This record gives sequence, structure tokens and C-alpha cells, in this order.
Amino acid sequence: MDYKHSTIEQLNEAICTGKVKSEELFNEAMHLIEQYQEDYNAFVTIISKYKKYGQKDTLISGIPYALKDNISTSGILTTASSNILKDYIPVYDATIYKKLKQAGAVLVGKTTLDELAMGGTGTTAHTGIVRNPYDKQRLIGGSSAGSAAAVSLGIVPFAIGSDTGDSIRKPASFGGIVGFKPTYGRISRYGLFAFASSLDHIGCFTRNVRDAAIVTDILKGNDPNDMTTLPDEEVCYLDHLNDDIKGRKLFYIKEICEEKIYQDSDENVKKTIETFHQTVEKLKEAGFEVDEVSINKELLNAIYPTYMIISCAEATSNNANLTGIQFGPRQDGQDINEIMFRARTIGFSELIKRRFVLGSYILQKENQEKLFKNACRVRRMIVDKMNDLFKEYDGLILPASGTIAPEFTHTSKSEKLDPKATVLENHMAIANFGGFPSITLPMYYYKGLPVGINLTGRPREDKDVLNMAQKIEDVLQIKNKVAGDYDV
Amino acid sequence: MISKEKLKEYANKLMFDMNEEEYETLQNEFDIILKQMEWIEKIPNIKDVEPMTFPFPLKNACLRKDEVGDYLTVDEVLMNTKHQVRDQVKVPKVVE
Amino acid sequence: MMYKVVIGLEVHCELKTKSKNFSSAPNEFTMTPNIHVSPVDLGLPGILPVVNEEACRKALKTAMALHCTNPDEIVFDRKNYFYPDLPKGYQITQVTKPMGIHGYLDILVHGERKRIFIHQLHLEEDTASLEHASTFSLIDYNRSGVPLIEIVTEPCIESAEEAVQFLEDLRDVFLFCEVSEAKSNYGQMRCDVNISLMKEGQKELGTKVEMKNINAFNAVKTAIEYEIQRQSEILDRGEKVIQETRRIDEDGKTYSMREKVDAIDYKYFIEPNIPKIPLSKEYLDAIRKEIPMLKLERFERYQEEYGLSEYDAGVLSADKKISDYFNTVIENSEDVSLALNFVTTSVLSTLNKLNITIDEFPVKATSIAELVNRVSLKKISFDHGKKILYKAIEEKKDPIDLINEQHLEQINDEEKLLTIINNVMNEHPEQVRQYVEDGNTFVYNFFVGQVMKTTNRQANPNISLQMIKEELERRKQNERK
Repeated sequence: MDYKHSTIEQLNEAICTGKVKSEELFNEAMHLIEQYQEDYNAFVTIISKYKKYGQKDTLISGIPYALKDNISTSGILTTASSNILKDYIPVYDATIYKKLKQAGAVLVGKTTLDELAMGGTGTTAHTGIVRNPYDKQRLIGGSSAGSAAAVSLGIVPFAIGSDTGDSIRKPASFGGIVGFKPTYGRISRYGLFAFASSLDHIGCFTRNVRDAAIVTDILKGNDPNDMTTLPDEEVCYLDHLNDDIKGRKLFYIKEICEEKIYQDSDENVKKTIETFHQTVEKLKEAGFEVDEVSINKELLNAIYPTYMIISCAEATSNNANLTGIQFGPRQDGQDINEIMFRARTIGFSELIKRRFVLGSYILQKENQEKLFKNACRVRRMIVDKMNDLFKEYDGLILPASGTIAPEFTHTSKSEKLDPKATVLENHMAIANFGGFPSITLPMYYYKGLPVGINLTGRPREDKDVLNMAQKIEDVLQIKNKVAGDYDV
Repeated sequence: MISKEKLKEYANKLMFDMNEEEYETLQNEFDIILKQMEWIEKIPNIKDVEPMTFPFPLKNACLRKDEVGDYLTVDEVLMNTKHQVRDQVKVPKVVE
Repeated sequence: MMYKVVIGLEVHCELKTKSKNFSSAPNEFTMTPNIHVSPVDLGLPGILPVVNEEACRKALKTAMALHCTNPDEIVFDRKNYFYPDLPKGYQITQVTKPMGIHGYLDILVHGERKRIFIHQLHLEEDTASLEHASTFSLIDYNRSGVPLIEIVTEPCIESAEEAVQFLEDLRDVFLFCEVSEAKSNYGQMRCDVNISLMKEGQKELGTKVEMKNINAFNAVKTAIEYEIQRQSEILDRGEKVIQETRRIDEDGKTYSMREKVDAIDYKYFIEPNIPKIPLSKEYLDAIRKEIPMLKLERFERYQEEYGLSEYDAGVLSADKKISDYFNTVIENSEDVSLALNFVTTSVLSTLNKLNITIDEFPVKATSIAELVNRVSLKKISFDHGKKILYKAIEEKKDPIDLINEQHLEQINDEEKLLTIINNVMNEHPEQVRQYVEDGNTFVYNFFVGQVMKTTNRQANPNISLQMIKEELERRKQNERK
């Protein structure tokens, strides 16, 4: 069978009818990992031995998958792609890992990420850069780089990622696949190595919307180990994918999508905006109502600095446990401070340190009001504005990025702040600010390289977002694609 | 502009150090982000907005019943460090 | 020169709960290291705190008992600093909305009430503990995450004596509210002392010296006295006191730990993993109902309402369980002084003699009250009552059961007694004759003896004697007719 292009349901049916064994799928995945690991570096740890888990009656039972290497797996090395955790073996399971085991899914490996999930390029892991399956000279984006690459390469039909700014939805765009992060609290974060707790989400990569619904149905649910999880809901997302969307109202933001803004931009961005507007027309034909809405440009410009400030502040505190005392590589030192100092100096890369200093500065007593609290205030203003619009509209659609995946450059390694970074490239953090469910799916190919479209909906209405995304996928007709299907 | 010495002091309080070049990059980064934040202060009535610390209010959030649940064995507690004496984590003498 | 002493205290107290504050590992004192540790207490990557309701209840309850204002919702903050006993690199505590603010506790100093103002009470987590060997230290994470309340007083304490009295009374609040065992030898109650001296009439506070982590109350006393002496001498010499943190050695002397260069910036911010939990009026009211009357109120009530001596009131209000026991006896007794007598002389002395707690005392308070009532209604004699009580203690039985079993209740019923007396007299005609014919009054005692013998000593001897006299006289008159 064509493992690489199969959907979860097709694989499930093949297993259930005895056409293929779970172990054969695992071996297929192993074969692909062997084939691609050197070129693409999607994995930090590969589980070389097949192991059967849990239940048999779920759709994902017996099906291979990958976990981002910042999710706690008891007995399996979990590094967060950082030297400071390069030898860390967790003694407890993340809630989602438990759920996936119980559902019978078969873990093939832990995937590479930007160090400690703090980055958007997939180039800062301690084990090296992750390359874009469509073009080895390009990045796949991050921080869930390895998970995106593994799904895009066809190694696994689904992989788990985490998303703090757009860490699932951006690499999904660059990898030509689906990336979904549901509402904040829909999936337990217990066992996810925290980057910025109030923005962190867990989500999944798949090659079609239906699979995203299947995986999310397994992962979701209230967790007594995570006070921020939502109550359970008696609804199966998969059952509602084909609900009628007639009359559903979408909006896009004028200040991001207006063609005239991009008069001086390169062809790629112009083509993306043009395709986006064509897509809007197609969606209208399919039964959606789509409006253009204007939002204060300054509020939009504030998205990136607000994201940086809040995420760096929370991150500097969240990672203060990394001292090499009770876990992680222990450094030598005359006294306890020297041990911690050396562990952290050696263990963190430059980008991480810069973000920690920034975060710490932001939280200092004399700066808190001006920097941290103001950023939190802007966050509320943006979220309030969105919630206001969500009273009238069911969802926000925008291009997931303006361009195809960028080529590796000297600057992308250290990812210095770009003052010209446009709203077009950074708007997806809105969904993290408000905990909104948000999904990226492939929109078109520019010179054979994918660009995604992003849909964001009302908090708690994951069912509706998946339902609308399914319709968008039906309209765009791009699904189950694996890198290599197109020639670059 | 924030001096490199100040930045080094901040870094050291976070228990790490960086090299000259890295402090320079950081200095520029600070410049950019602080400039971006400047206009935020100029947003009318920004001070009237309550800072948001959580994506949305959670009505169902509840406290945990006081019951003993799962916890680790001594071996698990000490699994990730070689430095142990009498079932405790050994560190150089801590002088208060 | 004399200086005005200004002392502020920061008191930490571990709460008694089954599990820890933010994890479900056991909260139980043990000497075996690292056996009560969850991933959360170890600060492993990916952990999340889950707040213990009981810890919140007990913190709120203590805040109420200290007359604090409670918040409208539960909010926790992070206090960020690096130290080997703090595995997460931050402590979860409360800054934004402490469990209580602006409270007070009244204490008695030389018989006079003094109000110690409480700045705030907040709930946080304890750190791991460090054991220091000669060349290395060892970390035990058992204590990491144990619920801890911190009570910060205003700088309104003026002497070592007041400080110690406050600490003792505060411990009684913990014990009376049953929120902690507050054992200072287990480090369950610890105290930081801030002390400064100022010249009489001076307005601004003097330079503050901090003494950290003192467990024993008498150590607080000696340390404060030593500091007053030390700082006075410095000021007398016209020198300046240095702002610093000092440690106490075994002799109660203090010595410098570190000079305070600048205050550590803890970079507090709201803990994002704990959603704000609203506190309803109903919830708070239910907790408030559980707060018992505190020591000082009981002490005063015993004197004012029951007329107890200061000494007795002091003894009976010192321990909540004894006081509760006494209250039950009093509330069910007709005669307060009799009840007091039974409790102080018999109950308390037995506790001392057998070295047991009131929980282990075999006789229920309601039974003591019943016994007291029988004595006060003269159903049994005082001496007899006491004898029954001691017998009950010895045999671990209910005194009322003993009375019923052995028919020990006094026979006061005159009709019943008359029947008995008549029977006895009919059995002994010779002794009746001696009175009727010879007027021999010696037979009174003979008949009393016979009545007591027949009734197993249950007959009321006084009533019996009176009735015997009357019956003999009646028979004498009848004879004459």
C-alpha cells in the first residue's frame, strides 16, 4: 500500500482488515527515517524497536506517529533540543503521551525543535538544523520543525507539536501540510516543557483536516494535572466535519491583505495575496460569507513586540529550573553558584540567552509597568477586538505567511530581531493571545513550494473551526501531499 | 542605549554569561524592542486596560481535593543525577 | 541612652494537609530523604501546579482568625530567584492578592491587651531542605512544595517579651484553628525578625537589621535582647547601624551573614498556570463558621461569665482541647463551681499524673457534667461523686453506667426510706423499746447503721437519721395513747 499518502482512516482500515500489520507500518516509518534523517534531521531520538500499546478499537491504534522532543516521555530521552537537557530522561509521562499510548498509537521518535521551542526557524537545535522537505536549501520553520518535516516527508501520518506564537501553524505552511492548535486548555499541557505558559498550546500536524480532527479527538480533554484545561465536551469533532457551512461568516483584515501594501514586495508575496483573494472568492461561491474588516494598524504592529515581551518574560522564569543540579548535565564548580552558572553558560545557545536577558529585564521592578504590564494590556486590547469581531463572524482567514519557506541565511541561525518584520508574517500569534483555535492548511504552491492559509475561530469552538477548515480543504483540493509529489 | 555592562550584570543574575559579540547583538535587540514598545505607551487610555495574564477567564477552574496521589520513588527522584549521597542530591557546601 | 525598639516579624508556618500545596505527594514529616516527592516538587520540565483546596481553606481560616480582609479571588504569583533548595527556580507565592491583609492579633502583656497589627498573610510553598556536611551539602526534596503560610506583622512590636508573647499566641491561633501542629523543633514554625532602634522622639525608623530563620521562641528572645544591646552600643558611640542580615549562633549572639547591598529583585508576576479562582461569600462564610473562639476570648470569658480566677481561666484556656472539654462540662452542668472543681482537681490532675492528653482521657465531658448534676441535685454526695469519677477513670468506664450498675445512686425518696426504716424497726423491737420506754437516743445511730446496711449504703444518711428520729417519736407517742 501507499503508506506515505495514506490517511489515518485508510491505514486503520488496512490494519483492521488484515491487509497490513501495525509492525509493518512501523518498519515502513523506520525505513523512511533512515532514508531522510541525514538530509532533513527531523529526529532527535528514534525508537528503533516496535512496541505495541494500548487499545485496538481507536482509529489511530497501531499507527506510527512522532512527538516533539519537548514532551515528557518516561524512560525516553527528552532534550528540548538543548544542550542543557541533552542527557535528560524523564520519569513521568505527559498527559497526551499517556493518551496516545492508551489509544494504541505507535511512537517512532522524538522530533527536533528550535532550542526549548524558542524560535521560528528550525535552525537552533543542539543536534543541528532541520531542512525543508520541499527544498533542502530552505528552512521548514519552527519551532515544531521536526514534527512538520516528518509529516511533510511522509514518515508518519501525524505528529505532535507545540505552538506558542505560530510554532505549529507556520511550519505547516512551509511544509504543505495541516497544522492545528485547538483552544487553549482543550489539550492538557502537563508534560509539555513550558516556553510561555499563558501562550503555549499543544496541537498536531497531519496531511488533511479529517486526520487533524481524529487526532484532536484523542488528545483533547480535561486533565486534573492541568488546572487550565477546559471541561470535557460531549462532541466528536470528526462527526461534524461535513456539517453545512452555509451562512458561516468569515473576515479577513484589510491592513494585512490589501494588495497595494505589497506593491514593492517580491513576486512571491504578491502572488500569495492574489491567491488569497482568489480563494476568498471561491469560498464565497462555496457558501461562506466573507467580509473585509479594518483594524487599527498600530494594534497590528504591536502583535510582534507584545508577543516577544510576554513570551520572553514567562520563558526566563519557566526555564530557571535548568541548572544542572537535580537533572541535566552537571558542570564542575567550586561552589553551587559556579555549577549553575557554568551549566547555563554552556547549556544555552546565544539566542536563548538573549531572550532570557530580555525577559528578565522586562520583569524588573522598574520596567514591569512600562514593558510587561503594557504588553499584557495590548494583549487584552487585541483579544478584545478579536472577540468583538467574533460576535459577528465565525472565523478569521489570512495567509499563514506571505512567502514560501525562506532559504537558510547567515542571520536565520541566530534569528536576530527584524525591525521590518511585517504583520503578514507574525499575525498568527493573535490566536495564542486569546487562546483561539487556529488551523493552517495548504493554499497554493509557488514555484513548487507550499504556502498555507490560516483560519482562526472563537475560543472553545474547535468543532466549528475544523468543520470550516474541512470545507476550505474541499474547495482548495490540496490534501495528502508529501514532499516530492511536486518537482522543485 | 543600555550599556553592555548592564546587560552583562543582568545575564549574570540569570546565572550565565555571553561573549562580547553576543552582548552587542543583544544591545541592538534591546534598542529595537524598546523602541517598538515606546508607542504602546502612547496608545490612548492604555493605563485603563487591565493587564491580561490568561487567554480567557476559566469558569470551571477548581481547586484540587486534598488527597495523596502518585509520586516518585527515591530512585526516580535521583535518576537524573550521578551526584548522590545517602539518597540525596550532593552539591558543594552551600554557605548561606 | 534609651532607644525605642521597633520590631517586625515574618512568621512561616507549615500547614497540616494530606498532600502538598501544588502536587499530590504526601505532606508528612519524615527523616527518610526523598520519599515524598512528585515531579512537580522536583521542578522537572513540563510540570504544572495544581492548587490544594485544603491549604487554601486553612490559609483563609487563619487569615480570618487574625481579623484579616480576604481577597475576592485566589491568585498566585511567582517569586523568581536561584537557590539550590528551590528546584523550579521560582517559588509560587502570593503578592497580588494575599489570603489576608490588614489584620491584628491581641496579646496580653503584663495583663494588658496589646494589639499587634498584621500586614498580610499569604500562602506559598516550602523549599527543599539542605543538610550540611563538612565539605558538601545534600538536598532532600521531601519538604519542597509543603504548604506554608507567611504572616508579616507591621513594625509595631516594642520588646523581646512582646515578640515572644506574640509568637506564642500566634502558635495558639494555629493550634486552636487546627491548621498546623506548629512544632518549631520540626521547623514547622519559623521566624524572621526585623529590628531597628530609634531615639525617643525621632520620627523615621532606624536602620533595619534582619535575623533569619529562628525556630525556637527563646532563641528569638535572646537574639532580640542581644541585638538591642549591640545596636544601642553602636548608637551610643555615635556610629551607624549597618543594614544587614545577621545569623544567630547557639549562645544567642548574632553575627553578620551579609550586608544588604541592594534588595533582590524577585521579578514577581502572576503564575500563568493557575487560573484565578473566585471566592464566593458562601464559601468564605462556611470557613468563618469553623473558626473557634480563640485563647484570649476564652480566658476573658471564663473570668467574666463564669467567675473563674485568673489562674484557673489561664489553665483552662491554654489548650483548645482541654478548653473545649471544660466548655462541654460547663454548658451541661447546673453548678459552675462544682464543674470547675471536677475538671481542675480531678480531670487535669489525672492528665498530669498519667501523662496523657485530653483525647486519651477515658471519661466523656458530658458524663462529667451528668455526674456534677447528680451531686448538685444531691442525688449523690460530693465525696461519693469523686470516688465514682476516679473509679470510672481507673476502669475506663462511664461514671453514670457505674452508678446504675452498682445502684450507687442515693436513696432520697422519703416514701422509700420510710418503708425501709419501718422494716428495720420491725426487725429490731428491742431497740425500738429502748427508745420508747427509756428514751435512749443511742439507738438513732444503730438504726442509721441498719438502714445503710440494708440499702447497700445508698440511703441518704441525713434524711434517714431525721426520719428515724421522727418514726421513733411517732411510735413513742402511739405507745402513750
